[in-house]
Amino acid sequence: MENTVVKIENLVKRYGELIALDHFSLEIKEGEIFGLLGPNGSGKTTTINCLLSLLSYDKGNIELFGKKMTPVSYDIKKDIGVIMQNVAVLNELTVYENIDYFCGLYISDKALRKKYVEEAVEFAGLGDFVKFYPKKLSGGLLRRLNIACGIAHKPKLIILDEPTVAVDPQSRNRILEGIEELNRAGATVIYTSHYMEEVEQLCTRIAIMDKGRKIAEGTKEELKRMIRNTETVTIEIIELPEEVRAQIASLPHVYSAEHDGERLVICCSGGKHNLIRILDVLQSRDLGFGRVYTELPTLNDVFLEITGKALRDKED
Amino acid sequence: MQVFNAFLKVLKKRSLSAMIYIAVFLGIAIPMASSSNATEAMKLTSLDICVFDEDGTDASRELISLLAENNKIVTLENDRDVMTDALYYEWIDYALIIDKGYAEKLAAGETNDLFRSYHMHDSYSVVYVTNLLSEYTSTVKAFMTSGNSFSDALSKTADALSTDTEVTMKSFSSGGGLKDIVGFYYRYLPYILVSVILGTLCPVIVTMNSRDLRFRTSCSSIRSASYTMQLFLGSAIFVFAVLALFTVVGIVLNGGINGDMLLAVANSIIFSLVVTALTVFVSGFEIGPNIQALITQIASLGMSFLCGVFVPQSMLGGGVLAAARFLPMYWYTVLNDMLMGDTRFDAGKAALCLAVEAAFAVMLVVLTVLVRRQSSGKNAPRQKKAEPAAA
Ligand SMILES: Nc1ncnc2c1ncn2[C@@H]1O[C@H](COP(=O)(O)OP(=O)(O)O)[C@@H](O)[C@H]1O
Ligand SMILES: [Mg+2]
Repeated sequence: MENTVVKIENLVKRYGELIALDHFSLEIKEGEIFGLLGPNGSGKTTTINCLLSLLSYDKGNIELFGKKMTPVSYDIKKDIGVIMQNVAVLNELTVYENIDYFCGLYISDKALRKKYVEEAVEFAGLGDFVKFYPKKLSGGLLRRLNIACGIAHKPKLIILDEPTVAVDPQSRNRILEGIEELNRAGATVIYTSHYMEEVEQLCTRIAIMDKGRKIAEGTKEELKRMIRNTETVTIEIIELPEEVRAQIASLPHVYSAEHDGERLVICCSGGKHNLIRILDVLQSRDLGFGRVYTELPTLNDVFLEITGKALRDKED
Repeated sequence: MQVFNAFLKVLKKRSLSAMIYIAVFLGIAIPMASSSNATEAMKLTSLDICVFDEDGTDASRELISLLAENNKIVTLENDRDVMTDALYYEWIDYALIIDKGYAEKLAAGETNDLFRSYHMHDSYSVVYVTNLLSEYTSTVKAFMTSGNSFSDALSKTADALSTDTEVTMKSFSSGGGLKDIVGFYYRYLPYILVSVILGTLCPVIVTMNSRDLRFRTSCSSIRSASYTMQLFLGSAIFVFAVLALFTVVGIVLNGGINGDMLLAVANSIIFSLVVTALTVFVSGFEIGPNIQALITQIASLGMSFLCGVFVPQSMLGGGVLAAARFLPMYWYTVLNDMLMGDTRFDAGKAALCLAVEAAFAVMLVVLTVLVRRQSSGKNAPRQKKAEPAAA
């Protein structure tokens, strides 16, 4: 009974030599908050731009609301709200005028538009700033304006491309809560980000992208189940004889034990006595150690497991 | 008309400098027009000259006939008092006494003490005649020095100075149908048009056409053609309003419409089209505000200097003028100089000027289309090009 809102099949997009999207496929059902997670340059924005027919693509098929999407599919476009990665507002217009301008591209009825614009102002918490010009807004407020401009016309499908980049934590939380609210009101959401915490917190289903390919897809539980280790134990220890490390690595449930001179990082599958067994080994050798902590897997571990590199880039 | 409304709002925000240009220009032009008599002194008018030929030779008669070309020679009694009265009561403007022995002295290569002249008022024309006389004698001497006989020298000098005077005199005396002040008004107008149209419209179009905004707008249900049309409409209305203002002021300054005025207006309209086309062309590149301002300055100031707006074309070097031919403002100024009476009016040349300006506009439009097509080839945000290849 769930309707498919977005269907991407075998999308291939080249920028000259570079293959930005490599046979990328995706299906999103009505009512989902779908997360597109991937490091910078993995092709998230390119996917969105192709989805919206802003870019031509080399191969593939895109359907929205069950209809083929083309640059002239105005009946489809009117049901979509877009929040671009690059803030697109007019600096010469006030906050209110900006929301009114973008809303007016969809809604021509003046009275209805006024109501919608006021609701969007309320939604984004911009009430105190309606007469401000964008240049005067902080990064977080500017992002919220960008969002208000994208959702004012009450679209059925909302696409947000990295809406929280360079945003203070307070604005970020407000944005994430707002998106959940829109979703509860019935909108299907596509959310791209390279922040795994956000995607984990917000999204009902997630696709992980790398180098233009989809490398995993599912709910966050499904994704985490895909990887072998469910627990990472980290022990701060300076001196560690090689045979002790090997002994720990050969313990039951332990996949790997790596020592970098400061820390011993042990990956193991779920089991009740992992930590006790490991600490027993260290104590029997009379080796002193510092802090000990264990972590449950994150999407970063999923990404690491599949691609062999960390999801986060250096600038974060 | 959502885009159109936004366009006007952006335009309003960006029009401060245009307002200043217009206000300063009109603030100078209108007061000048009300005191435009001051410029009368610059006009060369025909003088009433009384000549006493005490020499009575062919040479002296030749000098008189040269003066007679552009002035009225009046005969008076050869009496010192009569002459002074005539000058005093302004029956004559200028009195010239050609002393006995004029021909002999001149033939001997002398240039001083050949004649005496009297006048009461220093008008431009009086100065001109005085200069003409001294130029005459020195030219005769120069021809003789270069080996001509006295009579050859006289006739060659007469030829040289009379052709020269003919052109000069025509240019100043025919005066065109434009009042001087209107001529100057239209002469500086292209500078103002470039500053106002390019300086205002370019930032607005660049803003409205920026890649991010175009992408964002393309996501909405507004048609790409409609978007472009609304931008075009907004630009056209702006240019029209600016032109209408300047034309009305021009007609008022001129005290009505005549043939020359119509040509001046046509000249400004076609030139505005060129500037608008230039604006659209420049706006096709996503350039920052500093570069936009720089381009406006170069186009307005640079063209104005090269093309004879600030410095008359007659004072510019041949090299500069040769280069300026490739700029539309040159042709605007050539036509305006004819209308001002600085150069002789020639209907064919006037038509040529308008045609060349129009050609510049067409060329810029073609160039714009070519550049847009070129850039939309590589993943640019042009909608029509975004058709999926597989479709
Ligand atoms: N207009 C373009 N021309 C050439 N390469 C591009 C262009 N846009 C993006 N790319 C490249 O395509 C890849 C995917 O980019 P993008 O979709 O922006 O990634 P993301 O949004 O995940 O950060 C990157 O390697 C990027 O450098
Ligand atoms: Mg991106």
